[in-house]
Amino acid sequence: MLNFLRRFIYQFKEYFLLVILIVISLSFLASNEKPEVKKIRTFALGSFAAVNNLLNFFTGVFSSDPSINQIKEENARLMLELNRLRKQGVENQNLRNMLSVPDTSKYDLIAADVISKLVNKIQGNIILNKGSDDGIQVGMPVLNSNGLVGIIADVTDNFSVTKTLFNSSLNIAVTVQSINVDGVLSWNGSELIIKNIPTTYEIKVGEKVETSDFSTLLPPNIPIGIISKKESLALGLLHTIYVKPFADIRSVSNVFVLKVVASKQINQLEMNLMK
Amino acid sequence: MIWNFLKPVLIFIPLAALQLVVIPLISIYDVSPNLIIILVVYFTLLNGQIYGTLLGFLLGFIFDLISGGMLGASMLSYTISAFIAGYFYNENKIEINTTSLLFVLIVFLCGTVYSFIYSSIMNVNPDVSLLKLFIDIAILPGLYTAIFGLPIIIFKPKKGIV
Repeated sequence: MLNFLRRFIYQFKEYFLLVILIVISLSFLASNEKPEVKKIRTFALGSFAAVNNLLNFFTGVFSSDPSINQIKEENARLMLELNRLRKQGVENQNLRNMLSVPDTSKYDLIAADVISKLVNKIQGNIILNKGSDDGIQVGMPVLNSNGLVGIIADVTDNFSVTKTLFNSSLNIAVTVQSINVDGVLSWNGSELIIKNIPTTYEIKVGEKVETSDFSTLLPPNIPIGIISKKESLALGLLHTIYVKPFADIRSVSNVFVLKVVASKQINQLEMNLMK
Repeated sequence: MIWNFLKPVLIFIPLAALQLVVIPLISIYDVSPNLIIILVVYFTLLNGQIYGTLLGFLLGFIFDLISGGMLGASMLSYTISAFIAGYFYNENKIEINTTSLLFVLIVFLCGTVYSFIYSSIMNVNPDVSLLKLFIDIAILPGLYTAIFGLPIIIFKPKKGIV
C-alpha cells in the first residue's frame, strides 16, 4: 500500500507540486491583511522602490524641471479653488446655505512623483516617492492639476501605493455638480461608471462629476471628470452614466497628495469597504 | 541546483525594475508586455516543468512583494503559467523550443494565461464582464508580451545548425 502510494505520488509529482503551490498562494492571498504579512510587504516595497526611484531618475532626466512642478502645484491649488467656487455658484442659485460648504482649499498639498506603475486593466496601482515620513497616511486623496487620480492604499516610510480610479476595488461617492445627484463611481475594467441613477434626473452629457459631501473618505468638491455618455436600463427607469476623468491617469507622472486628516473611525470603516 | 535558481533571480531584479518603471511608458491603454513571464517561460523550457513551476512561484512571490500588488496574486498566476509552459519542455528539443517561433507562441499562451488569472483574482467588481473583456485582459497583453519574446529567438545563438 505504502509502495503504491509512493509510486502514485512519484508518477504525478508535477500535479502534487502544483496543488501544493496553489494552496500556498491562496493562503497568502487570504492573509494579505495580517500585520506580519503587511510588515514584510512594507519592508520589501520600501527597499525595491528605492531601486525603482533610481531607475525613474534616469528615465525622467529629460523631462524633470523643478519650476514645472511648482507651476503644477499652483495649478492643483487653483483647480480645487475654482471647483469650490463653481460649486458655491450653483448653490447660490439654489439659495442654499453657503456657510456649510466645506473649504477644500485649506488642505495642504504634498508634491510627489510617480516612480513605478502596476499596469493592469483591473488593478491600477502607482507607487509614489513620498511616504509616512512626509506626512502621508492611508486614505489620503491623490490628485494632479486636472483632478482626482486615486487614493493612498499603503504607506512605507518613504514611499506609498496609490489605488487609481482605474482600479475595480475602488468605489467613490460622487455627485453630479449641476443637479446634486449622488451616486457611486466605479471602474468596470474599461470605463468609469455610475450605476442606478433614476431617469427622473435630467442628466446631460458634459456635466461635471466631483466627490460627494457624503464621502468621508474624500473631501467634497474634488473634480473627477465629465459625463461622456448615458445609457438607460431597467425599462428606462435607471441610468448608467459613463464618466471621462479629467486627469490622464495612464500617463500621470507628478501628483499631489491632499493632506486630509479624516475621522479615523469612519475612515477605517470605509477603507474596510474598499478591500 | 542553487545556481539554477539564483541565475533567473539575478536576471529578475533588473527586469522587475524595468517592468515597473519603463514598461508603463510603452503600455497602450493599460495593455503592457510582461517581461517576467518571458523569463519564466525561457527557464522552464530549459529546465523542465517542476523547475519552472517552482521558479514561477518564487518569482511571483518576489514580484508581489516589490510591486505593491496583492500578495499571492502573481505567485498563483506565474505558478500556473510556468506549469503550462512546462508541457512544452522536451529534453531533446530545448534548442528548437527556445530559438524557433514556437517560443513566441508559448510566451503568448503563458502571457495570456497569466493576465487572465491575475486579472480574475484582482477583480472584485461584479460590473467587470470577464467574457467581454477576455480579449482586453488576456489576449492583448499576451500578444504584446509575445512581441517582446521575439528578440530572444532572433539574437540567441543557434547551436548545431549548419
